[in-house]
Amino acid sequence: MADRTIPTEATRQDALYEEAAADYGAALERLARAYEADADKRRDLLQEIHVAMWRSFAKFDGRCSPRTWVYRVAHNTATTHVMQQARAAKMMGIEELEELPDTSAEGDSDRREALERLLALIQKLRPLDRQLMVSYLEGMDAAAIGEITGLSATNVATKIHRVKALLARRFQEGGGHGD
Amino acid sequence: MVTEQPPNDVREAWQRQETEGARMSLEEIRGKAGKLQSKVGSRNRLEYIAVVLVVLGYGFYIYHYHSFTIRLGSILVIAGTLYVAYQLHKRASARALPQDCDFECCVDFHRRELERQRDALGSVWSWYLGPLVPGLVVFFLGTVFQPMPPRHGHHPWIALAISLTLCSLVFFFIGKLNQWAARALQRQIDELNAAAEPR
Repeated sequence: MADRTIPTEATRQDALYEEAAADYGAALERLARAYEADADKRRDLLQEIHVAMWRSFAKFDGRCSPRTWVYRVAHNTATTHVMQQARAAKMMGIEELEELPDTSAEGDSDRREALERLLALIQKLRPLDRQLMVSYLEGMDAAAIGEITGLSATNVATKIHRVKALLARRFQEGGGHGD
Repeated sequence: MVTEQPPNDVREAWQRQETEGARMSLEEIRGKAGKLQSKVGSRNRLEYIAVVLVVLGYGFYIYHYHSFTIRLGSILVIAGTLYVAYQLHKRASARALPQDCDFECCVDFHRRELERQRDALGSVWSWYLGPLVPGLVVFFLGTVFQPMPPRHGHHPWIALAISLTLCSLVFFFIGKLNQWAARALQRQIDELNAAAEPR
């Protein structure tokens, strides 16, 4: 007779974590980049996110999708990290960033430089706006963003409109920076 | 012409950026989680060791000296220390962020934690320094009234004045340090409020 082991809480937690790490590992790396510019600190942050995610799966009750759960835990860990770095005062909202002049050079049109400019832009944002921008860039729709951030549908719609306008201005002005 | 639509390749560039594929094995995860836990554990252990040392030290005075005042002072210091340990546990222990938390809940949690720590640091006289004062004063007075064979050059009242002055200076310094720390936490709370301000 085959030996069928009943999964314990610990193995369920491990399995959920491994599945999430396989599905969202790359997205979590990108998320860590959005929150931390320094490479060593970013590595630590990514590890913190993985530990928090593994821990959190002990209490995952399936009331939301694993994706929402993973992003919530990851954003919360990263937001905590940003707050502890005492850089919050220098951060801006999407609206304030829209008013800042674009200081990019005309020639920085390749993908790598565009990405660097995008990261620099994201890293200036306040945590909530950063969550929203990252979620938008990850291709999430308004409903998913609302579920992760806890913002109302109207609020998400307004903010996404601003995110799009900001990106349009920054990556189309001066001849296709976003290429 | 500038359109209100961002180029799709911004999203694409974001999603296609190179990643290191960094993975952690379950052993590494457990090890790291255990390390974090033991960090908190060793901080708690240090606090408990300090409490045990004070209890043992003043317990020795109770056993060794027959002076009522010294014994009363020692009992009050022990009681004060136990009260401080309880308050430290209640007011300053770290709490974990609830797992299923959205942005507002996360910020609220950090704000409450910072406020709790600020209030604890800002009120050290009422729960940290204050409860130790009666015991120390009675104990020092006890050392003055302690019957001792007359010794040349021994001035118990001067010794009392020096002890009380030193003790007051140390307490004043600790109180000031905590006030500064509370003000630094208030600045962090202000920054958090500014960063989390809904727009």
